[in-house]
Amino acid sequence: MNTIKQNHNDQGHEEHPIVSYREHLSTLVALLLLTVMTVAISVFGSNLRTLSVATALLIASVKALVVAYYFMHLKYDKKLYTWLLLIVGVLFVSFLILTSIEFLNR
Amino acid sequence: MTSTALNVNFFQAKKGLFSWIFSVDHKRIGLLYLYSLLTFFLVGVTLGVLMRLELLNPGKDFLEAKTYNQIFTLHGVIMIFLFIIPSIPAVFGNFFLPIMLGTDDVSFPRLNLLSWWIYIIGAIMALSTLIWGDGPADTGWTFYAPYSVKTGTNVTMSVLAAFVLGFSSILTGLNFIVTIHRLRTPGMTFMKMPLFAWALYATSWIQLLATPIIGITLLMIVAERFFGIGLFDPSIGGDPILYQHLFWIYSHPAVYIMALPAFGIVSEILPTFTQRTIFGYKAIAFSSLAIAFVGYFVWGHHMFTAGMSGPARIIFSVMTFLVAIPTAIKVFNWVATLYKGSIDLQPPLLYMLGFIFQFMVGGLSGLVLGALATDIYLHDTYFVVGHFHYVMFGGTGFAFFGALHYWYPKIWGKMYNIKIANIAFAIFFVGFNMLYFPMMIAGLMGMPRRYYDYLPEFHLPNMISTFGSWVLVTGLLLMLGNLIAGLRKKNQPKVGRDPWGGITLEWQTLSPPPVQNFDRMPVLPKDGPYDYEHKPVIKED
Repeated sequence: MNTIKQNHNDQGHEEHPIVSYREHLSTLVALLLLTVMTVAISVFGSNLRTLSVATALLIASVKALVVAYYFMHLKYDKKLYTWLLLIVGVLFVSFLILTSIEFLNR
Repeated sequence: MTSTALNVNFFQAKKGLFSWIFSVDHKRIGLLYLYSLLTFFLVGVTLGVLMRLELLNPGKDFLEAKTYNQIFTLHGVIMIFLFIIPSIPAVFGNFFLPIMLGTDDVSFPRLNLLSWWIYIIGAIMALSTLIWGDGPADTGWTFYAPYSVKTGTNVTMSVLAAFVLGFSSILTGLNFIVTIHRLRTPGMTFMKMPLFAWALYATSWIQLLATPIIGITLLMIVAERFFGIGLFDPSIGGDPILYQHLFWIYSHPAVYIMALPAFGIVSEILPTFTQRTIFGYKAIAFSSLAIAFVGYFVWGHHMFTAGMSGPARIIFSVMTFLVAIPTAIKVFNWVATLYKGSIDLQPPLLYMLGFIFQFMVGGLSGLVLGALATDIYLHDTYFVVGHFHYVMFGGTGFAFFGALHYWYPKIWGKMYNIKIANIAFAIFFVGFNMLYFPMMIAGLMGMPRRYYDYLPEFHLPNMISTFGSWVLVTGLLLMLGNLIAGLRKKNQPKVGRDPWGGITLEWQTLSPPPVQNFDRMPVLPKDGPYDYEHKPVIKED
């Protein structure tokens, strides 16, 4: 079923999409595969050392984005919300970078 | 709805204690916050006065050293987490944001009530340390590790209280963001929104994004105390500087949670008492967002002497100076608003002028601390205590009491004695500067902060400071007494809808406002919220 739109006049004339089962299922499968990947790296990638942590964080970030984009409907929302999420992401990465600069130069 | 129902004010709608403590009306919740905040504020003031009494003379006067440490910690926890962080948003934001936006409530009224209950639970937890366990924490309000992990005092309950209070802050921030996005009256675009709403918007984003960081950090302290994980305690492999990073990643933006709403208050009161359009509306609005954003990247300036690496110190010092730009933009615009305005020196404006003067002293002394070289000498001295109180109390505290005088007739439909309010302001202002300016002098002379005792050469500034605390308390009690007397006075003439001549929407409704906020459709001024050239004619009944 393709995405269709429906009016909810009692909620300020907002249009809310009804998302297809296929999209939901594909997202679920993607998340499960990413989880399997995280477990596989932690079990079989022990010689990656620091990189295994970085990889796990990267996969977790991708999973969070997939959840926000599909399950939390960021894909269908106004662009403003994507910008807000990006700003939060920039803040978080800045915290990591600034703290790392401090730690690595001690 | 009948016209009679529209005229029933929110005090008359329902009676009894339960109708207040379980009310979902934003106005009642705002007042619940006001009464609770003022109670805790007075507890904090009492603790502060006790500290000043102990410091009147060198050596022991009447407090033990450990008790002194506990008192300054509890003073800090109460003033920061129970008073100044929630103060303006929780009281005046709750009461006036929906009215200024022309709507009937916040987006999530039940969540709003829950926020107040969480606040009360957090407050009880914080105060319970006075009578429960091993006494209040003696770590200072910053709960620095590793001492906070090792001390026998009741740190766990104190940090859990701050953790719980954080939820109240987050939920209020969330509520305001959604309200501002979704419930503005038709025709009120973001660029036609009052600057108080802009200030609350910027503040709410900080509350929402920064508070979870302190939440998890404080839980890490509890985990470290109970399980000895080795997060912050260097004796078991932890990193105490990591704690300071995590603490200040929240607590520096929290300074803007405290200051930004105060900026919003100034931007409301100045146009009303100069009867002219605010100078630089867009510059003030966007500078709030700029302060909120840049404020995230400056936390390291609290740690210059903590053993942080050199490059990080330089980066944080430079970033700190960037915050001065949007802050100065605001101050210049406020002063420009006064220029050639029809100035009416009423009590709310006096508090705002006091704010601008004291905030400038606080801000400029902040530059001295933000500069790497001078901070090395002044860090952890009384200069920092003086600077902090100038910004927080001289700034936000004065804005809070200015707002109380400004919106008093709208909230209660009565008026206080203007002459006594002016006298109280004068005493309060003199007392404030007597109390805190000598602290900066003592700091420059080298007196360390948080010390129970001091060398004889620091006696004079300490003595003046303690005398100042008595003057300040006199002014405070006179001010509060005058406000309470105004409420109790009978047979007062009605103040009407717009006693000060303001034009934001709250001045178009009844005083006190009806349950639904407006008895008739509010009219937006043609060119924005401070368009005094096209001032809407506000008819009384």
